[in-house]
Amino acid sequence: MRKTVSYVLVLAGAVVMLLPFAAALGNSLKSFAQYIQVPPVWIPDPVQWDNYAEVWRRTPFGLYLVNSLVIAVLAVAGNVLTSAMVGHALARMRLPGKQTLLTMALGTMMLPTVITIVPNFLLFRSLGWLDSLLPLIVPYWLATPIGIFLMRQTFLGIPQDFEEAAGLDGANPWQVFWRIHLPLAKPALATLAVFTFTTSWKAVLEPTIYLTSPENYTLPVGVLSLKGQFVGNDQLVTAAAMMSLLPMLVVFVLAQRYFVRGTMSAGLKG
Amino acid sequence: MTVLTEETGKVAAEQRPPARKRHAGERIWAFAFASPYILHLVALAAWPLLASLFFSMTDYDLLSSPKFVGFDNFTRLFGDPVFWRTLGNTAYFAVLFVPTQTALALALAIALNQRLRGMALFRAAYFVPVVSSWVVVAYVADAVFNPQTGIANQVLGLFGLPAENWLQDPALVIPTLAAVAVWKGVGYMTVLFLAGLQAIPEDRYEAAKIDGASAWNRFRYITLPGISGTTFLVLVLTSIETLQSFEQVFVMTDGGPHGASELTVLYLYRQGFQFFQMGYASAIAWVLFVMVLALTLVQFRLQRRWVHYA
Repeated sequence: MRKTVSYVLVLAGAVVMLLPFAAALGNSLKSFAQYIQVPPVWIPDPVQWDNYAEVWRRTPFGLYLVNSLVIAVLAVAGNVLTSAMVGHALARMRLPGKQTLLTMALGTMMLPTVITIVPNFLLFRSLGWLDSLLPLIVPYWLATPIGIFLMRQTFLGIPQDFEEAAGLDGANPWQVFWRIHLPLAKPALATLAVFTFTTSWKAVLEPTIYLTSPENYTLPVGVLSLKGQFVGNDQLVTAAAMMSLLPMLVVFVLAQRYFVRGTMSAGLKG
Repeated sequence: MTVLTEETGKVAAEQRPPARKRHAGERIWAFAFASPYILHLVALAAWPLLASLFFSMTDYDLLSSPKFVGFDNFTRLFGDPVFWRTLGNTAYFAVLFVPTQTALALALAIALNQRLRGMALFRAAYFVPVVSSWVVVAYVADAVFNPQTGIANQVLGLFGLPAENWLQDPALVIPTLAAVAVWKGVGYMTVLFLAGLQAIPEDRYEAAKIDGASAWNRFRYITLPGISGTTFLVLVLTSIETLQSFEQVFVMTDGGPHGASELTVLYLYRQGFQFFQMGYASAIAWVLFVMVLALTLVQFRLQRRWVHYA
């Protein structure tokens, strides 16, 4: 009985979650005439696959895609590497002021984004980085609090013997980190990687503030700008939006379990 | 064999540098490992905090150098009716959004916790909006809430109800935005609640069943106290996030119609990046910052009263 109620609830919820996506997908495949038809048609007839091709023909969609990919890949590499390094220092190394640094990491996690918007813009402006991809990449190379906590927790859980065995062979701390601890932390690294990829891929605020030339736009900003170009033809913008989701969905399907784990470890932050 | 190991061990110990020197070397390594975050603290934490405090007391348009004006920005801000309206909008949005999302996420998590078949699939369905950007969600929401072509009015029509203007209606825009925000965020919170539920020991339920406790009482006296920690966390996270909500309104309504959905951070963005009043924008940021801090502290205080950590 309880299971039946639960099933109905969860199933109804799943329909509510996915139906709007189906409707948007339908919109993206309609001709303009059908898109504005009232009452709306659910299944486009004929299916206008050309909407997707038209987005590629008439906009720098490929450029947006490449920019988003470059930023996401470099953000992931930077955050995974540096957060692992800092987490390693906090978990396994003789670092003076370790406790202070840990407390400060907790404090910065609570630092609201609003307070950073103006000063970070001014900082990147004085560095001459405006209208480049750098402000969207470099901060990830300075480690993130969530990443540090996740990696510290992981490295604390690795038995001491591994390290000692390597230490006797004359390995330096970098080699211990790179050859022994990092390979043992793969699940946590994957979790942090998908978490960073998603954050970077979804971002709207930062690219809006930092990027001005269309050739530097990321997918969200680029798709948003199409609204002006395709005035009224929202079926084309919807097609572009659907395409911008596709790479994210591929990552999500391939790494679903890490998303769940990432949510939980992000939840531990408080 | 033993002798040999002891021997090599001794040689190794003799060849190693004295302990103090070795520790100094380790410290340098440790600092090198921690250096990205030390730089982070300086450039991305200390600098924004201090700089925004400084700029909040200046007149700065990016062209001429900042001019010190004391607390003028704050005086202007507290007398600015638009600012108060945006705070009211933000509060209204939060009051609709936070409890609804929390209650729905809890209900879904309890349902998903019954070890349902195909749970991974359901979880995936709930997570797709979570990983979508607000730009994607804006067009997905348009397929639903567009007054002419959306399915929401079509559904209303089935029940003989009149069509609504949703995001274009000043009275409905915030409730509609809150509904879309719940739709987008509920999957994330559900997973948090699921983790909390799975941490409650099964034998408590078994014992209560043997004692004849009803399903409601088991929920009231075992589940609710068991997940009070998670609930607290969810409430803190969502209310902080909601106070700073920007992307959704920026993409979906741009504050309209007639400012009915202008939230405070959107106002900050406009002041800073459309009117180039960096000083005024910084003052707004600091007021919000203090509010976020206050809210967090209040919630931590209240937490002692109703959160049970088993």
